[in-house]
Amino acid sequence: MSGNYNMFHVEVLPPKQDAEDLEVRLDRFAARYKRVLDAGYCACITDNAMGNMSFQGSEIIEEYDLPVDGDNVMIHLNTFHSKKVLDDILKSCIDRGIEYLLVISGDGNVRFPKLKPSDLGLQGVSSVTAVELLQYINREYSGVFHNGVAFNPYEPEEEEHEKMMKKIDAGAEFVITQPIIDENTIVDKLIAEIDLPVMVEAWMSKKLHLLSDCVGYDIPEDTEYDPIESLKKLQSNYPSGGVYLAMMNYKRQFNLLSEIGRA
Amino acid sequence: MKIVVCVKQVPGTTEVSIDPETKRLIREGVSIEMNPFDTYALEQGILLKEKHGGELIVLSMGPKRAELTLRESIACGADRGVLLNGRPLGGSDTYATSYILSQGIKKIKDVDLVICGKQAVDGDTAQVGPGIAAHLGWPQVTYVSKFVESGETELKLERMHESGSDLSVVKLPAVLTVLKDVNIPRIPTLKGRLHSRKVDITIWDEKDLETDPEKIGLGGSPTRVVSTRKPDARDKHTIVLKGSASDSARELMKILKSRLEL
Repeated sequence: MSGNYNMFHVEVLPPKQDAEDLEVRLDRFAARYKRVLDAGYCACITDNAMGNMSFQGSEIIEEYDLPVDGDNVMIHLNTFHSKKVLDDILKSCIDRGIEYLLVISGDGNVRFPKLKPSDLGLQGVSSVTAVELLQYINREYSGVFHNGVAFNPYEPEEEEHEKMMKKIDAGAEFVITQPIIDENTIVDKLIAEIDLPVMVEAWMSKKLHLLSDCVGYDIPEDTEYDPIESLKKLQSNYPSGGVYLAMMNYKRQFNLLSEIGRA
Repeated sequence: MKIVVCVKQVPGTTEVSIDPETKRLIREGVSIEMNPFDTYALEQGILLKEKHGGELIVLSMGPKRAELTLRESIACGADRGVLLNGRPLGGSDTYATSYILSQGIKKIKDVDLVICGKQAVDGDTAQVGPGIAAHLGWPQVTYVSKFVESGETELKLERMHESGSDLSVVKLPAVLTVLKDVNIPRIPTLKGRLHSRKVDITIWDEKDLETDPEKIGLGGSPTRVVSTRKPDARDKHTIVLKGSASDSARELMKILKSRLEL
């Protein structure tokens, strides 16, 4: 395992396609991206997160000629692409030296195409999930990328475990969980069982109720939540793994990361 | 090949409401997007241009903000956009709209092919594409589901109809309306999006188009909306069948049979 999975992995959301102030948002993206890299963390760029049509991380890196430094950049890649666009993204990653991918099934949208099994030369499967996409990348781009996968402790445990084993068989090298608050026993079991780096996801928004859909039950809007305290607890509870920071506030929270001293 | 793709800006599909007095769609203050069916027409235009070369022009009639839809089309791969905009054009029904669009196509000149989505999701009439063909006096093929062969002067197409599909051969110039089976529309790239923001959009009004004032706007529209109403809510309710799968299946069959007899 060549990567430094112990550093902070900080999510950077690319601008949406319909942004009216596109240039402003692209500049902001570039500034945040550089800030993450300058701090010695890994910039993790989402792929049409929540089904919102956004620009690809690799194309913004190319357009803005942003630096890529070994394991300091990670691109999310999901199954809602045409085969041509999928290969264009992967080739663009190779050209720019991006080695780390988080391979996920992803969120759809009526405008997004969806990879078909025949696109990836597969027979006998009804749809393309993260497993099939991972198999394809490892087959067609063998040894080029370090591929991670997602783990959802809020799904039925047995099914999620089975999926995880398939992902590992398909060549997953690291795992990032869905957001967990302080600790999670199902994640604990996963860490004890598998021999891969597991990064736990910290929810950095104060609006905890936004996680309701993810965890599968209603979290009241007025729930008090201190993301920085939760981050500290996660670090204390999971000292041997890394932390992935989602929905981070760059104005108020970013500078606190160095004080927390994970990097 | 010179191709014109007609695109329309429509309200987000969940936000459509009707002005009770004018009986017209309320378009102000709602989110807007390109008519989803037009994205397939646009993609087909791009694919044909990639195959044959030539020029792809996107054409729309509407308010100034419809420029956004034209720019989105350019971001995907169209070469330029033409917006037909003018107060006298407002309130046009499908007959007047297709006349105005046909005047735009004549003014663009030397067009080989016009492609439209099968219908717009706000009006749902599916009349504008065929109307353009009628005003131009060109052949038309509607509900195209597949491009079987595309030559410089002739297209072989599969088109859907009530009882299945058939193969149609059409000589150009022609007008087509396409279904969503025809292709998978691409998403604009960042390069394309940035390029599209710098392109000038051509804007023509009723004078540029040399339209007959009797054939445009509300006055030129033979359609009269007498009244509108929401359809009756469907009678639906949920039955939860308890017991084993085979017992539930038997019970379900019994219920379905009784409904069919009714």
